[in-house]
Amino acid sequence: MRKILFFLLLSVATQAAVKDTIAKYHFSRYAILDDDDDCDACGCSASGGSMGFASMLNTNFVGVRYLNQQYKSSDGLYSNSAWYTENFNTLQLWARIPVLKNIQVSVLVPYHFHSRDTKTGNQRLEGFGDVTVLAMYRVYQTHRDSTIVTHTLQLGGGIKAPTGKFNETNSGSLNPSFQAGTGSWDYLLASEYILRRKQFGLNTTLNYIMKYENERAYRFGNQFNYAATLFYLHEKNSFSMAPQIGLAGEVYASNFQHGQELVNTSGDILFSKIGVEMGKDKWSFGVNTMLPIRQNLAGGNVQSQYRLAVNLNYSL
Amino acid sequence: MKKIFLAVLAISTIALTSCSNDSKDDTTATGNGSLKLEFDNVYGAADLALNTEYTNSNGEKVKPNNVIYIISNVVLTKADGSTYTVPKSSSYFFVNETDEASTLITLPNIPAGDYTKVKFGIGVDQAQYDAGADGQGDLWTTAALPSLGMTWSWASGYKFVKFEGTVTSTTHTDAPYKVHTGKTGSIYNYAEATLDFPNNALVRTNITPQVHIMADVKKIIDGTTVINFEEGLDVMGGTKVQQIMANNVPTMFEAHHVHND
Repeated sequence: MRKILFFLLLSVATQAAVKDTIAKYHFSRYAILDDDDDCDACGCSASGGSMGFASMLNTNFVGVRYLNQQYKSSDGLYSNSAWYTENFNTLQLWARIPVLKNIQVSVLVPYHFHSRDTKTGNQRLEGFGDVTVLAMYRVYQTHRDSTIVTHTLQLGGGIKAPTGKFNETNSGSLNPSFQAGTGSWDYLLASEYILRRKQFGLNTTLNYIMKYENERAYRFGNQFNYAATLFYLHEKNSFSMAPQIGLAGEVYASNFQHGQELVNTSGDILFSKIGVEMGKDKWSFGVNTMLPIRQNLAGGNVQSQYRLAVNLNYSL
Repeated sequence: MKKIFLAVLAISTIALTSCSNDSKDDTTATGNGSLKLEFDNVYGAADLALNTEYTNSNGEKVKPNNVIYIISNVVLTKADGSTYTVPKSSSYFFVNETDEASTLITLPNIPAGDYTKVKFGIGVDQAQYDAGADGQGDLWTTAALPSLGMTWSWASGYKFVKFEGTVTSTTHTDAPYKVHTGKTGSIYNYAEATLDFPNNALVRTNITPQVHIMADVKKIIDGTTVINFEEGLDVMGGTKVQQIMANNVPTMFEAHHVHND
């Protein structure tokens, strides 16, 4: 029943956004790509590009995004355990839609097509991931004209629905996040703070995902994500470009099964990230890559290699 | 527009309030289930591969080619301290590295509960042996199968651990070695090991826990007691077998993790 309500809401929101004419901002130029939360190395890739909502500043858009993440993982049982390559691919429909003057709703609909090598050959996983809906409320914003430095603070929360499939057998020895979904209704709290001075800006996001036990009595660990991105905005006529550089990190609590903590499922990772976004009229294109600086995921049994994100957006 | 926002709020609220039914461990679990013990042979920290060379602490290089041991008399302990003893008649298992199916032991009809440790014997206990040739059921004939070869003469009894391969040392190059343990004269040498589970094994009618046990076969010859094949290629009796069973074999097992699927 909840699923039906959820999809009803989703379609209503989408339609409303198309009709909505109140808040047609055209700020996609200084949009920031931010895909730090899309993976859930120890439980979050399951939630699929869960938190890309933070990417666009004052921007209302619909778009598609492609995410590629590569990991190497091992069962960690032996000194001579094999390391296998895992490829997480996600095609994501994403949108940030204004619903009230200071409130925007972000929607993320991921479709995953993952693959990995195993002892017994290549394993594939394909299907819709968990859909996330998030509302952000603009708590504070400096008027642009009156000051050199402007601040924007947004706070919000949302839900992630178990529209992706959770397969218990994949939660075993190798990377337990080889899933299309966590199988649970999860909740998130988010904040976004933007500091701007002339062409420069700093975007800081924090969010926390509370994950719950699914029908198979498996619970992915709660997850804290943080990111700081410095960007520079160059504008000329209808063309705009915003190179960006930053740091992003994730901290995962342990997974639980039948109420018991599972060893080697917690972890943390810090990435560097670099990217650029280009806009022309209502269209914008972005590319962004993240490389791990230091990591300790799943007791060292999962190693992130890189993440890559490409997106095409249309401003509403 | 407001309506939509309210709808979002309403849905969130419904979801938040109705989804927090964390099902805690059922301490009053009823019925019977099964439990699996997986014996995963390793050599030191490495996954054991037969006919692969490993170096011992004394510098001798061994290539194991046959590893078989008898696991017996399994006793499971619950979190409340109570125990379940697997019926003796169905509590002897031959773990054979070359027979993958034999490394996964399924124990049926286990009362549901949260189990914290397992105790088992390595070899055949003296009470069973003392039951005499007639009291062995098919245990003796199974042990005597050519594929296992876990018996000597009746007087000498069962072999408890068989560990064979080739060794390269100061004076040997790929020379066959044999380590067979069991009764040595009047000393019986049956060993026991108790393994604590790192997390509880939750036996339920719908959950069959699998305990992943690392069995470090290196310890058979390179543990507290170190076997030097330079002193003899066959270790089949006497003090060395007594020391292996007393000092080395009880420490070669570790419950690495438990799957509760």
